[in-house]
Amino acid sequence: MTRSTRIFMSCIYWAFVLYVFVPLILMVLMGFKDSKFIGFPITSWTLDWYVGVFEDAEILSTFGYSVAIAVLSTAISVVVGTWIAVVLEGRKFWGRAAMFGMTILPALVPGIISAIAFRIYARALGIEPGMGAIVWAHAVHNVPFVVLVVMARLSTLPKSQIEAARDLGADPFVAFLRITVPYLVPAIIGASIFCLLLSFDDFVRSFFLGGYEPTLPVLIFAKLRSGMSPEINAIATVALVLTAVVGVWAERFTRRTNKEA
Amino acid sequence: MSQDVAAAGRRRDAVSGSDGSPVFWGRLIASAPYRALMALIGTSPTRQFVLLAALPVLWVLTQHLGPMLQMLRVSFTDAYPVAVGAEQNFTFDNYLRFFGDSIFWMPFFRTLTFAAVFTFCTLIITYPVAYFLARHVSPKNRMLMLLLLLIPFWVGEIVRTYAIMILLGNTGAVNLALRTLGLIDRPIPFMYTSFSMGAGIVYLTALYMLLPLYSALEKLPKSLNEAAADLGAGAWTRFRRVTLPMTLEGISSGCTLVFLISTGFYATPVLLGGPSTTVFAETIAGFFHVAGDEWPTGAAFATIMFFAALVITFAFQRVMKALRKGDS
Amino acid sequence: MTRRPIFNRRRFLGTAALGGAALASPAYLRRAYAQSGGEVNIWTYNNFVPEDFQKQFQDETGIKVNVRLVDDQGKQFNLLAAEQPNPTVDIMTVAGHRFLQFVDSDLLAPLDTDRLTNWGNINPTFSESDWATVRGNKWGAPILSGMEVLSYNTDYVSAEEAQTWDTLFSEQYSGQTAYIIQDMMSIVMLMMGYDGNMVEYLDDPDTAARIVEEAKQFLIEKKPLVRKYYDSGAEVQQMFVNQDIVLGHSWNGPAAALITDGFPLGMAIPQEGSYGFVYTFNIANNAPNMDNAYTFIDAVLASPEIGAAMTRASGFISTYKDASQHLNDLERKATSFPDEQLANLQFFRAEANELKYGLVDPAVEAIKAA
Repeated sequence: MTRSTRIFMSCIYWAFVLYVFVPLILMVLMGFKDSKFIGFPITSWTLDWYVGVFEDAEILSTFGYSVAIAVLSTAISVVVGTWIAVVLEGRKFWGRAAMFGMTILPALVPGIISAIAFRIYARALGIEPGMGAIVWAHAVHNVPFVVLVVMARLSTLPKSQIEAARDLGADPFVAFLRITVPYLVPAIIGASIFCLLLSFDDFVRSFFLGGYEPTLPVLIFAKLRSGMSPEINAIATVALVLTAVVGVWAERFTRRTNKEA
Repeated sequence: MSQDVAAAGRRRDAVSGSDGSPVFWGRLIASAPYRALMALIGTSPTRQFVLLAALPVLWVLTQHLGPMLQMLRVSFTDAYPVAVGAEQNFTFDNYLRFFGDSIFWMPFFRTLTFAAVFTFCTLIITYPVAYFLARHVSPKNRMLMLLLLLIPFWVGEIVRTYAIMILLGNTGAVNLALRTLGLIDRPIPFMYTSFSMGAGIVYLTALYMLLPLYSALEKLPKSLNEAAADLGAGAWTRFRRVTLPMTLEGISSGCTLVFLISTGFYATPVLLGGPSTTVFAETIAGFFHVAGDEWPTGAAFATIMFFAALVITFAFQRVMKALRKGDS
Repeated sequence: MTRRPIFNRRRFLGTAALGGAALASPAYLRRAYAQSGGEVNIWTYNNFVPEDFQKQFQDETGIKVNVRLVDDQGKQFNLLAAEQPNPTVDIMTVAGHRFLQFVDSDLLAPLDTDRLTNWGNINPTFSESDWATVRGNKWGAPILSGMEVLSYNTDYVSAEEAQTWDTLFSEQYSGQTAYIIQDMMSIVMLMMGYDGNMVEYLDDPDTAARIVEEAKQFLIEKKPLVRKYYDSGAEVQQMFVNQDIVLGHSWNGPAAALITDGFPLGMAIPQEGSYGFVYTFNIANNAPNMDNAYTFIDAVLASPEIGAAMTRASGFISTYKDASQHLNDLERKATSFPDEQLANLQFFRAEANELKYGLVDPAVEAIKAA
């Protein structure tokens, strides 16, 4: 690779960083604006919106609620999604194409329709609206994303590795756990990130399947009705910082356990 | 991440520890309950496969198909929810309505076109970024720089969309900067155009493209490129003949994800688009927001959208698979 | 967010015009209700139930208030329809113009106003107007009223220019205007001298179709001049703040919020006239806590201070007698109109909704697709 392409590539990278970060910086900045509306010019500044977020127990508990839903639904999606991907990628069988179609179905239906469909179906199944119902809907909705990502990785798994393990006496189950799963780890991490994000940012399913406790996006939508105030920016910023802290901690934690293992 | 190497290493000790003594897995295989369980499952590959596939099939049928069958049923009725004392009848009218009027199929084709164009834009924009990360950044910093890019994606769609407005509005950051620099006298109206809509959607979808591309590029052996270079291939030829074919699988899964996600977008196109950029999700949502008796039409239109997206996804996956086979 | 306007032939009266009722005493709740306990479940918009009031109500009655914040009417309808016949909700917030749809789908319980000792605290303009009565029953307690107004940035547009809807379609402000297309259809019909409620054409569908077609063609012709067809109040506020627009059609609530924040915004009811609508608290059919729902609604109606607090938070005009006496000057300015402008205002009516929206909805789609 020549020097000039390297410089060119790094320019593109940093331009992209700028593109994704400038709106983010604007968002954080607007949380300090002393007005009920975001936008330029900013004539006076205040810390009140940020202080307000920490003083408001409802916002913090809403954040915790959203995180719990995201983690639980992701856990379900990842297990089920990986399982389905293994079946689909494993061997040819009758109805495989139909199965694939049905698998990605939840991702194809527009939000409002899937939310109403879930709501009606939940009633048919006797699932009460609330946390369980939201976790269920998010888990189902996110499975296709896991399947797509895991299948992509699975298709590149060298068959020779499995065969070698079998030769060494591992039965299919053990070979799967010891060879396939470790090979899939990067895909599973990526898929988990998708699921966490999709769940954390979902409004319409959370709204229709939720009870009287709002998730973060539901709260933000409701607040938006009385205007896009700096308060919403402050809430989003605090949520961002908290998730970043949790994320960095999780990354450190996995790195440490990896080293020990 | 050097999973491939690690996995290859682990292959050697699939059942025994490095000193040859049976470890957990070996002991597990040898244990009586495990053997009993395996005997129950049987050794026939078909039987094993059926047992393996049972749960996924059950899940897909009850969880994925169930809600959608409800929707399908509603789409063939003339009233839903049913008013008291009224009768519910079977009808095809809701589907016929779609084909009868250009005001319905125009947003439909617009949505598919937009989704395809924005997917392509996202690919063009994120490919170099993923390439740079996977090939030019030292493995030590790679994870950090990738995580850096993930941060903005933790902010909700609505908040980020309003941030785009603050960026591109007439008194927004870009116009402010251009004016301060003396480049313009009057603000440039970026907002409420296909441009602002594209900027917003690519901002939301970039991640779903970036990660699959990155993971495809990351496991591409450097030696391949070097070998090609030794053979005298130029940078472009190397990219076209080596890198691109090897990352087709990443491109395929990234594009599928982004396409699916962008056909379903509702809030961002509605908030950032102009008077002539109505998307199909908006048309569909209209039927649910307006009045009760429009649910069946909404459900029918959603079904049409769903089949269209399904067919396109399927065709696209086929083409990519053929390309992959043809190139390797 | 799509709103379905409802209607009334009566003229709007300024709330300030009706004064003189006795001020409520601060101990209104304790006197009226024994501790009853239990809970009440409410779907409403952000800030529609004042926080202080909610706390006081809970302390004095022992009834726990569960508020579920919603962001539009359509979602309330869909959610309630999905929950029937055993809803979790007791009280919803439906705009008067959507009664008919909720009533037709059997989602609301008739309101027994005899159980509300404070019903008389509502300005009769709202509580006794004919839109409030559907199928011989009352269906909701009016709390806040809104209207379709012409909002303008006072730095760029003069008050005189804002006296007519024509300014919204003038070349001078090309690319600097925005409106909600559904609402604009009614206003354009009014501008053209027709009945935007379409009640006059109930027996003459051909005329109705011709009028809607005329309004549609007008909006299509003016499409190159508009910057944005928007849906929500937050959008129009942001467009004004970012100066993407300098004038636009809006509801008074979002505009009033900008004015009280010090933004150079004015609003007017233009001379061609405009429409008003009213938010009400309604009780769900088969509500699980029916008695507590009545207790809550009665308590919320108890004092003009509560009405003023709702106005302050939402920007919409309180339906309570004397509520404006509890507002400061800027808040009062942002939530009142000169009498000569109010004279041009009429309520939306629901009688012809089926005819009207059967024609208007496709027209709206056609304008967007044009």
